[in-house]
Amino acid sequence: MDDFLFDRLDVDGALAESLARTGLSRAAFLGAALGSSTALLGWPIESADAAANSPATNDVFILNYALVLEYLQAAFYTEAERIGALRGKNARAAEVVGSVERAHVEAFRGVLGRKAVKRPTFDFQGTTENPKAFLKTAVAFEDLAVAAYKGQAPRIESKSALAAALAIHSVEARHAAWMRYLFGVDPAHAAFDQPQSRPEVTRVVRSTNFISGPPSTKADRSPRYMG
Amino acid sequence: MSRAAREPRARRRVAQATVGAALGVGCVLLWPTVDSSPSETLLGAPAVSILSVPRPERLGRDRHLSIWSTVRRPALARSAPQGDAPAVARVGTRTPEGTDNTVLILDRVSDTRGRVWVHARLPVLPAGRTGWLPRAAIGGYRLARTHLMIDLRHLSATLVRDGRRILRAPVGVGQSRWPTPRGRFYIRNKLVRYRSSFYGPLAFGTSARSNVLTDWPGGGFVGIHGTDRPDLIPGRISHGCIRMRNPDIVRLGRLMPVGTPLTIR
Repeated sequence: MDDFLFDRLDVDGALAESLARTGLSRAAFLGAALGSSTALLGWPIESADAAANSPATNDVFILNYALVLEYLQAAFYTEAERIGALRGKNARAAEVVGSVERAHVEAFRGVLGRKAVKRPTFDFQGTTENPKAFLKTAVAFEDLAVAAYKGQAPRIESKSALAAALAIHSVEARHAAWMRYLFGVDPAHAAFDQPQSRPEVTRVVRSTNFISGPPSTKADRSPRYMG
Repeated sequence: MSRAAREPRARRRVAQATVGAALGVGCVLLWPTVDSSPSETLLGAPAVSILSVPRPERLGRDRHLSIWSTVRRPALARSAPQGDAPAVARVGTRTPEGTDNTVLILDRVSDTRGRVWVHARLPVLPAGRTGWLPRAAIGGYRLARTHLMIDLRHLSATLVRDGRRILRAPVGVGQSRWPTPRGRFYIRNKLVRYRSSFYGPLAFGTSARSNVLTDWPGGGFVGIHGTDRPDLIPGRISHGCIRMRNPDIVRLGRLMPVGTPLTIR
């Protein structure tokens, strides 16, 4: 995990500010939020009240990890709906699933509060504009989300956080079946599904290059406009 | 079957009967006191989720939304969404100010090979020109909810967001020999913290270009910026740029994002 990805997740610098206060590294955060370790044990707690109502530290990492996946899915379907290039059943699926993924994002942001990672910027590279590419990507996203939730379930400490994850996990599985059906592949092809670890999921997400940096449209150079 | 073989089976039957009876008694004893099945009692109540999931909401149609993008790799814009259509302009990845070059997305189609083409407003001459770019040449989509309108007759700028006016201010525009070009454009970049009192505290770059001063350094782009002569505003005073009083350009800087469509009429 590197600074490149960190900058894309931390678009307004809130994470960097928090990490500066604790002395923890970017790699430590990313390793925990999207990577392989649980190194970020000193995550700042704002107040005793907040601590009482917040998930455990390890669960914060897992919920943030889930939040990044939900950001990715929500942005994908939202862009597909905004652009309006899909028709018929595909368009309806994008609308319905998109509304649910946005609700998941808001739910995670609500429970994480200030500890929530910021929304990255995305470049879906035309996959929201072509029906075949859309369905192929949607199947990959939904299968990945199902496997990711399954991979984290045994690691969640709090029962209430686990209940939340399972509530979303089954919804993602329905989405996966729906998108598979639309794409023309077997919705339920195996007797047992395999979980995927955070490093595996992270590798897949990074390989898409869908998480991009914000555009550079601001500068402090002197204008050369006509005046 | 021998006696030795029959005895374990008999013991198992006795044990099964005993357990069954015990469970049955347990059920009878528990039934009047708890409002759930025996198995629910043994498993306990389900854990309550920490998430408060809001009701999913569809987006609906949004006619005030504009889509823009950066140019990811240099490309030829074509007159039609086909690789062999005539080229209308070459589009680079950077602006003269060193920021990412941008285009305003108007439409899109897939060609017969499944490749997506986007119809885009371009920062080229003649002013306001559009062309078709391969989707692979541009980056992620960004949204703008604002729209800036410059009225050359009444010398005013009006910024609307979601269809509602949020700023109105007087402007200085091009003199008659260097007219500010009319048409549909967009905001390309934002410059701050430079040292030039002439341009005021803040400047926006636009996709509009002068049709007259084509040899101006940087390509003759129309800017929207502050001024060191607020007394001349409103008026026809510039080389084609749109000048605003400094407090107004600062307000505009807070309200208007890059990618905002610009109409000069």
